Amino acid sequence: MRMLRRALVALGLAGMIAAVLRARGSGGVPPQTGGWRELAGSDFE
Amino acid sequence: MRIAMIGVGAVGTRLARQVVSGDESCEVVLRDEQEARVQAVAESLGAQASIDHQAYDAWVDVDVAVLAGPAGSHAATARTFLARGVSVVSVSDAVDDVRALLALDAEARERQVSVVVGAGFAPGLSCVLAVHAASGFDHVDEIHIAKVGTGGPACARHHHHALSRQAVDWRDGAWLNRPGGSGRELCWFPDPIGGQDCYRAALADALLLVPAFPGVARVTARVGATRRDRLTARLPMLWPTHPEGGPGAVRVEVRGRRGGATDTVVYGAMDRPAVAAGAVGAIAAKLAGEGGLRRSGAAGLAELVEPVPFLAELKHRGVRAAVFQA
Repeated sequence: MRMLRRALVALGLAGMIAAVLRARGSGGVPPQTGGWRELAGSDFE
Repeated sequence: MRIAMIGVGAVGTRLARQVVSGDESCEVVLRDEQEARVQAVAESLGAQASIDHQAYDAWVDVDVAVLAGPAGSHAATARTFLARGVSVVSVSDAVDDVRALLALDAEARERQVSVVVGAGFAPGLSCVLAVHAASGFDHVDEIHIAKVGTGGPACARHHHHALSRQAVDWRDGAWLNRPGGSGRELCWFPDPIGGQDCYRAALADALLLVPAFPGVARVTARVGATRRDRLTARLPMLWPTHPEGGPGAVRVEVRGRRGGATDTVVYGAMDRPAVAAGAVGAIAAKLAGEGGLRRSGAAGLAELVEPVPFLAELKHRGVRAAVFQA
């Protein structure tokens, strides 16, 4: 029983740590302004 | 001009079509181990195409040899043509192929011929975009490449395995091996690709860009992948590959200094990777055959071509590059 309780506590802790890391992890921020423009004219000079 | 096409997979077929389209003076000699495939490609190309039934690394009398066969075979085939004074264009993006082909530089210079290494989507188009982006800087500090999408089945297999192998980064004057599948970064590609998570992988871009930019501090390359791609990268491919992947994109970020200030330029392109690689390889092959490359020897497109006319010719062929404007 004690073994099971320890395993559950360990799993819970691991889940909490993973959740914190996942929430804090940043995948980047989409560009808020600007955009893609096809190269043309003066870009080829 | 006679051009040998060694391998007619997704990229090789597109490349052969790009070579003969609009230029009746060009003739392609097709070679592939898949007899039915090479027959079908030759019939679709018409009178300008002929079939050569020899092994991949056998010699044939041509002006330029384009290597689009299986990864791992390119260096041996290149040596065969190099020994006869014939320039070679390789579309391989495999790190081992690129290293072995670059090692032919001294011999190629001695024979006054060119070995164009990595003339595909990335490396290839990525190298040309990097040189063009760098042209406005006094000094280039960093180059970061990202690509997403695959060409044919061989490209899909390479993409699959690259995520489980060591990435090759350049940092502060030294090569740095880092685990494939690490270093997640959200990269923004031209529409409609948009944002994609990209990871380190065994990609050859840095090997070709570092010699072209003396003094550059950092060069990295990443590939777009899903969590399933990362999870299964160390396993054999679990699903059959598609004959050709969907739309892909390449993104080139160059950081440097001009006029005492630091700045960043981001270029990109969106297309089917096999189509874009075919166009890049065809232009490189014609330049090699006409003596239009900047120098002899083995190197990537960053060292061998003038970026502006190259990108203009690509645009003429329907492969359009874009710049990100903040």
